[in-house]
Amino acid sequence: MATTSTTNPSDPAAVLRIAQKAPSVLAKASSVSTIFPASIFSSADSTELWQDVEQLLYACLRSGDDESAFLCVERLSDRFGADNERVMALRGLYQEAVAKDDAALRTILEDYTKVLQENPIHVPIHKRRIALLKSLGRPQDAIAGLVEFVDSFPTDIEAWCELSDLYESQGHISQAIFSLEEAVLITPHAWNLHARLGELEYMAGTSSSDHSEIRKHLTQAVRRFSRSIELCDDYLRGFYGLKLASEKLLGAYSSAKANADSTIPPEKLQQLSRLATSKLEAIVKERTGPRSSAGNESEVIAVQQLLNSSKG
Amino acid sequence: MAVQGTEQVIHRDPALFYWILLPITIVMILTGVLRHYATVLLASPSKPPATLLESRERQALIRGINLRNNAAAAISSSAFNTRKEYLIDGYKKGTFLRGGAESRGQAAPNPMSDPAAMEGMMGMMKGNMAMMIPQTLIMSWINAFFAGFVILKLPFPLTIRFKSMLQSGVMTRDLDVRWVSSLSWYFLCLFGLQSVFIFILGNENSASQVAQQMAQANPGATANPFGPGQEPDKMFQAEAENLEVLEHWSVLDGAEDRLLQIYGS
Repeated sequence: MATTSTTNPSDPAAVLRIAQKAPSVLAKASSVSTIFPASIFSSADSTELWQDVEQLLYACLRSGDDESAFLCVERLSDRFGADNERVMALRGLYQEAVAKDDAALRTILEDYTKVLQENPIHVPIHKRRIALLKSLGRPQDAIAGLVEFVDSFPTDIEAWCELSDLYESQGHISQAIFSLEEAVLITPHAWNLHARLGELEYMAGTSSSDHSEIRKHLTQAVRRFSRSIELCDDYLRGFYGLKLASEKLLGAYSSAKANADSTIPPEKLQQLSRLATSKLEAIVKERTGPRSSAGNESEVIAVQQLLNSSKG
Repeated sequence: MAVQGTEQVIHRDPALFYWILLPITIVMILTGVLRHYATVLLASPSKPPATLLESRERQALIRGINLRNNAAAAISSSAFNTRKEYLIDGYKKGTFLRGGAESRGQAAPNPMSDPAAMEGMMGMMKGNMAMMIPQTLIMSWINAFFAGFVILKLPFPLTIRFKSMLQSGVMTRDLDVRWVSSLSWYFLCLFGLQSVFIFILGNENSASQVAQQMAQANPGATANPFGPGQEPDKMFQAEAENLEVLEHWSVLDGAEDRLLQIYGS
């Protein structure tokens, strides 16, 4: 299960591989004893084991192995008690996953609301409720719930990121940028968040109509992408965005013609774009090579398309 | 004076070994185990906030600290200034306080009468007590029953400095340093059994920590920046001042230049 952190979690094949380890992990989890004399002899009751079980639960749910997922939930509630906050949320997650239709989901939503009325600071259930609202197709309610949530828990990264995504899905780009900036403030070295912010700035730049606004956003986007590459070498998403943003900004400069008060001079932008192109070519070559490890193929394909279109 | 080169010979009753050395060691190990479970029982993890407003009060301060520490590496100047103004305004007016802006200026509740603060202090005291009480009890037990026995001879020579450490309770000037008294054996056990406990109770006494870790999905959510007896309003004012004097620079400015430099083109 150590592979969870190294492989790409959004890669279905990796998830399936993890889910197939279910029997061994579950067997380990069920042999744990915490009562004193037995605790010396039985296998260790370590944090890692229970984190493994939790990861396994996610993997099983994603790969459709509901029975193993149920066993995971059972093991966790045996160990930590059914009223443990986190176990409650995991159980809710399992119930959501096996729910037959929207009506069943709505009853789960009511359950969550009931739990929250009793204990208004139940963070995991709060999050589940918002996630359920989102999956029921009520993004406005989810946003309202999240805004309330981050008012009380303003240092929760997960919530800010989710809020940013929701805003973006509703087309409120500037709010999305604000939310994500809050998340970056908490973890200033997260290069993926920097790149994501760059993407949002890029979107804001392309959707805006005012010339100075466009330039402001695109400049910011170029800088965000640069920062993300600075933090993480050979970051594909960063280079991809850098190429797009710098070329777009060049276009914006040339269309504005006069008042050349550009913060990043055009020559530099051309350099950046060239650098990004050459780097992307190198990355594609490496990843499609014969000895390439199984990475995220869709990303590589997208890059190839971008390179082809810019050549043509 | 002990004659150089000759070995002091003391005939010890073998009963000393069975009735003093072993009991002290066993009792020390057992109390260590017991104390571990006592601390697990007594330990109250930093309590999560009881209400949403309380959580906001705590995290508002952390948010300010985050902004102060990370703004340079995270956001641009305009974004920083709006946040700074918002937070300073909130801190000064007291909107983040648990009781709202009106509760500002009210006298701080006496920590003795506030049950939450009381509990924080009690937690510290309980931890100390769990260490102190068994120690005093066992030491007086040894003093009462086993004082003055010489129970052990170390198989290696030592310098005279160790005499006070190894022979407390035995007031003989001439005794070789290698002889260990019962009281000193107690002290040696007290400080030297840590690795035995790690063996028995698991590394870093993990049994207790797993449960705590699971209990909180978000460890940051329960962190409490306010110590017992500290007044949130005062800390907010201090944080507002810290933010006011902060000079902002952004790591984003010139990020593209640095990038070009790194890749040398």
